[in-house]
Amino acid sequence: MTTKRLLKRISVLLLCVSLTQLAFSQTKVVTGKIIDDKGAAVQGATVSVKGAKGGTTTDVNGAFSITVPAGTKSLIVSSVGYTQQELSIANETTLNVSLVASSQSLNDVIVIGYGTTTRKEITGAVATVRAKDFDHGAVSPEELLIGKVAGLQISNNNGQPGGTTITKIRGNNSIVSGNNPLYVVDGVPIDATSPLPPNNVTGIGSSVTNNPLLFLNPGDISEITVLKDASASAIYGARGENGVVLISLNKGSSHASVEAGVSVGTYAGLMKKPDILTANQYVSELAVYNQHSDSGLRFNAFNTILQNKASTLYTAAINSGGENGRFRASFSASDINGIILKTGLKQYNASFTGDHYFLDKRLKLNFEVVGTNYTLQSAPISTNASSTGNLISAAMNWNPTLSLTNPDGTYNQKNPSGQINPDALSAYSDDYSHVTQLFGLGGVQFTIIPGLVYNFLYGVSYATSSRDAQIQGLIAATGSNFDGKGAGQIGGATLFNQNITNTLAYTTKMLSNNLTFTIMGGYEYYETSNLNYNYTTVYGFNFNVPGGPSYPNIAYYNDMQAGNQANLRVISAAPTASSLQSYFARGTFNFEDKYFLTATFRADGSSKFGENNRYGYFPSVGGRWNVMKEGFMQNNRTFSNLGVRLGWGQTGGQDGLIPGASKQIATVSGYNAASNAAPPTTIINFASPDLKWETLTSTDGGIDFGFFGGRLTGYADFFLKKTTNPIFPGTLSVPSFAGNYWQNLPGDITNKGFEISLTAIIIQNENFTWSMNGNMEYVRNKFNYPSLGESPLFLTGQINGQGVSSAYAEALANNQPIDVFYLRTFTGFDKAGIATVASQASSYVGDPNPHYVVGFGTDLSYKKWSLSMNMHGTFGNQIFNNTLLSVTNLGNIANGKNIAQTLIGTQESLANPVSASTRFLYSGNYIKMGNATIAYNLGGVGNIIKSSRIYITGNNLFEITKYPGFDAEVNQDANNQGIPSLGMDYIGYPTPRSITFGVNFSLN
Amino acid sequence: MKIYQIKHSLFGVLILGLLTNCTKLNESFNNAFPYNPSAGTTSAAGVLVSSYGSLNGVFHGQDQIFSLEENTSDECLVPTRGGDWDDNGVWRVLHAHAWDATHSQAASVFTNLGTLESNATTVLASSPTPEQAAEAIFLRSLAQFYFLDLYAQVPYRTVPNYNTLNAAPVMPPADAVDTLVNNLSGIISQLDPTNKNYQATPNAARFLLMKVLLNKQAFLNRENPAAPDPADMQQVYDLGTAIKTSGAGLNLTTNYFDNFGPNNGGFGAPNTGGTSSEIIFGYPNNGTATNPNGTSNGGITARWMMGLHYNSYDAPGVYGGAGWNGFSTIADLYNTFDATDTRKGNVPYPAPNALGVSPISGLNVGLAEGQQYNERDTAINDRKGNKLIFTPDVHLVEADVATLEGAGIRVIKYYPDYAHYTGTASNQLVFFRYADVLLMMAEADLNGASGGNADALTIVNALHVIRGAAPLASISLVNKGNLYDPNTLLAERQKELYFESWRRQDLIRFNVFLVPWALKATDDPKFLLFPVPATQLIANPNLKQNPGY
Repeated sequence: MTTKRLLKRISVLLLCVSLTQLAFSQTKVVTGKIIDDKGAAVQGATVSVKGAKGGTTTDVNGAFSITVPAGTKSLIVSSVGYTQQELSIANETTLNVSLVASSQSLNDVIVIGYGTTTRKEITGAVATVRAKDFDHGAVSPEELLIGKVAGLQISNNNGQPGGTTITKIRGNNSIVSGNNPLYVVDGVPIDATSPLPPNNVTGIGSSVTNNPLLFLNPGDISEITVLKDASASAIYGARGENGVVLISLNKGSSHASVEAGVSVGTYAGLMKKPDILTANQYVSELAVYNQHSDSGLRFNAFNTILQNKASTLYTAAINSGGENGRFRASFSASDINGIILKTGLKQYNASFTGDHYFLDKRLKLNFEVVGTNYTLQSAPISTNASSTGNLISAAMNWNPTLSLTNPDGTYNQKNPSGQINPDALSAYSDDYSHVTQLFGLGGVQFTIIPGLVYNFLYGVSYATSSRDAQIQGLIAATGSNFDGKGAGQIGGATLFNQNITNTLAYTTKMLSNNLTFTIMGGYEYYETSNLNYNYTTVYGFNFNVPGGPSYPNIAYYNDMQAGNQANLRVISAAPTASSLQSYFARGTFNFEDKYFLTATFRADGSSKFGENNRYGYFPSVGGRWNVMKEGFMQNNRTFSNLGVRLGWGQTGGQDGLIPGASKQIATVSGYNAASNAAPPTTIINFASPDLKWETLTSTDGGIDFGFFGGRLTGYADFFLKKTTNPIFPGTLSVPSFAGNYWQNLPGDITNKGFEISLTAIIIQNENFTWSMNGNMEYVRNKFNYPSLGESPLFLTGQINGQGVSSAYAEALANNQPIDVFYLRTFTGFDKAGIATVASQASSYVGDPNPHYVVGFGTDLSYKKWSLSMNMHGTFGNQIFNNTLLSVTNLGNIANGKNIAQTLIGTQESLANPVSASTRFLYSGNYIKMGNATIAYNLGGVGNIIKSSRIYITGNNLFEITKYPGFDAEVNQDANNQGIPSLGMDYIGYPTPRSITFGVNFSLN
Repeated sequence: MKIYQIKHSLFGVLILGLLTNCTKLNESFNNAFPYNPSAGTTSAAGVLVSSYGSLNGVFHGQDQIFSLEENTSDECLVPTRGGDWDDNGVWRVLHAHAWDATHSQAASVFTNLGTLESNATTVLASSPTPEQAAEAIFLRSLAQFYFLDLYAQVPYRTVPNYNTLNAAPVMPPADAVDTLVNNLSGIISQLDPTNKNYQATPNAARFLLMKVLLNKQAFLNRENPAAPDPADMQQVYDLGTAIKTSGAGLNLTTNYFDNFGPNNGGFGAPNTGGTSSEIIFGYPNNGTATNPNGTSNGGITARWMMGLHYNSYDAPGVYGGAGWNGFSTIADLYNTFDATDTRKGNVPYPAPNALGVSPISGLNVGLAEGQQYNERDTAINDRKGNKLIFTPDVHLVEADVATLEGAGIRVIKYYPDYAHYTGTASNQLVFFRYADVLLMMAEADLNGASGGNADALTIVNALHVIRGAAPLASISLVNKGNLYDPNTLLAERQKELYFESWRRQDLIRFNVFLVPWALKATDDPKFLLFPVPATQLIANPNLKQNPGY
């Protein structure tokens, strides 16, 4: 059915193109140029007459010339890594062809753990995304994958440039870890910890941390491979539980080129408007509720904290090399301004990568150095803001009829409702984080004898940061000690990790070359140390305070000695450090390119495990059957590819464990005023010598397929995952120390589901191509702990705000998904307008884990124009709207504050208690237009510019959802005692809609 | 085929070198150190400071022991006021006697008492001096006393087994009473009488022993307490006499509210240097971050902020943030005082300014009722612009927008330390007070101690002289038909000790905890005890859930 329709479409189009064209001569010469979808010349592409042997190949400039018989109607253009194209040439003698890279070429080299393989040999669930498929406008590497890979859920839930993203591969495997995958950059595992100290001066909650992968320039990344199942990720052992993301940097090319680009971005407002009343609505609601806080003005207070300053990005790269080596030097500078006042990211990045062969190519040395410096400017937007709120809630709540300024130009900080003036809060607070990070690696690859290769890799990453923050005493109403007094903070942190890998691999052929056998063994040592807390705060200043002199150019953090030294607080700490020592091996068998078998084994010794369980062992096995190679498939015209995979493996998780987790340790917890007296000591962790990793056992079955000569390709997988011995902070039988005690729970967590990914090239000819791709994951998550009965094990999803102390929205409970919503069921309002609930007892009422994660993209190109669009979304999950409960609730209109638009026309009374219930639980279904790009390939300009391309890109253009918050793609941190939450929304940084204009060009 | 045909010995050296260098699994954890008491890495003195420090949260917090002992009684409630104090109903169920096994405050107090008991036990395991051991036993007894009072199950650990993950053994009430009596009797002579009033003293041990003996029959059977043993009552009386004659400078404070105001604590010689002369045991907040005994300043500011309205004090820095507008009392307490009784308060403190109101804020001490004024004698408005009037009429859920913010009389026993309004205040938190000693002696008299009814009346009327209340003609223990009958000791204890975390215990001891009172229409005997938290039941099979949960 699909086949016929597709062929019909193609033939109709081909017909249109060739309709009026006739040919008469005996032979003719056709010349032309083959370029890729970015306008770069494709060297070595084959051009041939359809049905005839031979042909020609393109030169370094992508040019070709071929003599063809008269009457030749079409040419075939093919090149490794690109989809083959058939082009009608009826009357033309010149052809300029833009090739579309194929996403599923069987001979593609795929990076896997400790080596490479080809797509046809892969036995596990592995997905690769190449640079050509990356979206424009990504600030950090994982954003490049949004919506691209089935089974991957990436929540860029924070509009702050440089803010954190959360990546989950096939659901929630763990209770205590963040479920983020292990990131590996060209073979070096990264400690994905934010290298920043906290900001403790605003007194209104801690602000968001930065994205730990910011040190990589997305423009330097050539491809990202995702190891989704344990048969692929078990080679990473105790860290492979949540999958592995392998990032490869662009290594340069052997022919010289210079690339450069510049782009300018701007904002087209917020993707979704805040859910608050307009000034006119506010006034009419005042009348409804008989309130009298109309102060006369009519304006949008939220807009006063928005800015629209241009963001700029400059990139330049030089590629060069020769027969034995290549290198790439890349530079970028960016200045991204956030849509909220005084937020942004200023970044400089330089990287130098390359490799070189010696000794008749027996010895290869490779190296990478990435240096980056960035400054993150943050606004007081915390995820755990108290009842006083943060900048977002201050702006949402501000009475839209009350002036933010006094007639004399000063800020109006005498709001009768006693709330913070958002403009004043923005103006009087500053928070700058400066991070310098260096990442480097050096590798040696030596072919000892043919087939026997030794690899050595050393990688190191070092980040150092400083954070300067202040809140001027001119601020009022934050309810903290700083009101009228001011506070400053200076602080710093370092993050250092290093990794040494040695591997030895041997490949040989047996059974008259029908069996290829490879065995690899290795040893790895990894250590990381992280200095979290080193900061100094002081509060109480005599300037920039009410009634004091004004020195606007002196920031408190630059003049800490001018603060009241009696209020000086210094926090410092030695690094927490942990190490991992590992032995691993992998064997692969390839029989006649038909049957493949991969088996891996890893032993990980981790300093975090208890002394009785120092070493964990992680096996895996996977098989593949390339059905296409079977004799009975030789005459098939349906399939272009058919492979079946089955894999099983075990991986571990230790992310939830902190250094010292298994040991009994204490700290000196204060100063004893009595001279020579012993300081107070406090136990912070109880010994658990049997503590071990949590084990993920995963089974994956998949099928890779291609139809119609590669025009429709894809894969489908099912997976069953079970996490046993989940790590959890234990409860000690009292009387006991207050410290942590880590244990492995006797319960388990399962994730079951399937995923499917399809790519279709619907139309392809010399002028017009149209392709579509889509992927979908279905996953159901469950926590099993039968001895719990109906009671929850633990509550998380802390609800923030006033009147909801110690209230939680989520639970860990038997036979429920992780973080299941545990709330009273809202049944409406009684006659007095007070909310009623079905029962005072909470029950399990919703799932924050998406059941479906989808991505959809389409690419069109017509002559030199191209258009690509990418959408993604989740379905089946719920969101708890803590903002509506605590910030924009109805009662606040009686306090002279603005409230949510969604409250218009309810029967609610102003006296209705602020009380958590399913009333605030919303469907989390959404589809977001994450990225759309229109580009025009100018091609070469004169003799200098080889190719050039201009584009306009839009990010977060719109979202289709019923959720009234800023973005249904939301996951604010609402942890309880470190146990993460999911799907909680509380006054976060709104998502902006951004538009970027750019040009890329390369020089000869 | 020779696989290991390594011509370049360089690589062999490299591999070997790396292997031998990297075989350690190093770990470090900030400024922590491996903790092993037997190796002498910690000192008894250090852990003793931590033990005193673990009194901080569980006694200061408005949602800890204070809440369990007061909000479950007739004299205290936290009305839900629109956007404030719903907190998933956690406060309302306490006053209405409708809580269940998941009550977060009951769970939190259980854990925090365990921390106190654990720290005290750790001192005993860390080679303490006899004095340190006696102080630790006192603190351990305090924790066990509250386990007994609130949960009727006392988990404990022996000194050799204090440091283990094993389930703790649990004492039933009878064993717990015996243990407390033996331990407290034993340490009276060990403790240094010159210790400060924030340390364990012989008087503090005597006071706690009096409480154990008085509550003994209720602890053994709350629904139906047996008559007190006269010998126990005589011991209570004698312990009280020992405190009176101990020469520790204890006597009734002239101005009742000086017992709780800023700088009430006596950090000099016992009970000198502070405005109160009644503190037998307290937590030594002194206005700085670190207290005289090395503990951290406690959150005593909660004691006034929990009741005060947002606008009760409008000085710079706390605009709109003077309080949390929560905890209130009911009209019954307000009406129980006679006109001249100074304990009722609602008067300026410490002395009126020229305009006749309290300096600094205009806030009255004691039971704050009626229109509120600032220090300029101007009426204060609530956040909606209405006059801020604290009314006796109050409900569990305030459903009327007009009275949402003002309903309920507020209790300002701890007068704000305006020098440290929201920070490190200087009000010492009073656990044991001398006036309670006198009332316990009177109660012993009424229960069979040798002084009898006449001595009880003498004690109470002597107290009335200092407090400015009219003398009583007669006194009995309790009037079950009227909990506020002025001629009963229960009512007298309330007037003297309201909001001092004793009311629930008194009501149970006088066997009137289950009678209906304002905003609590029905009851169930299960509410005589709190539930054991579910996580503890999982962790410790020796614990049993209390009946009804």
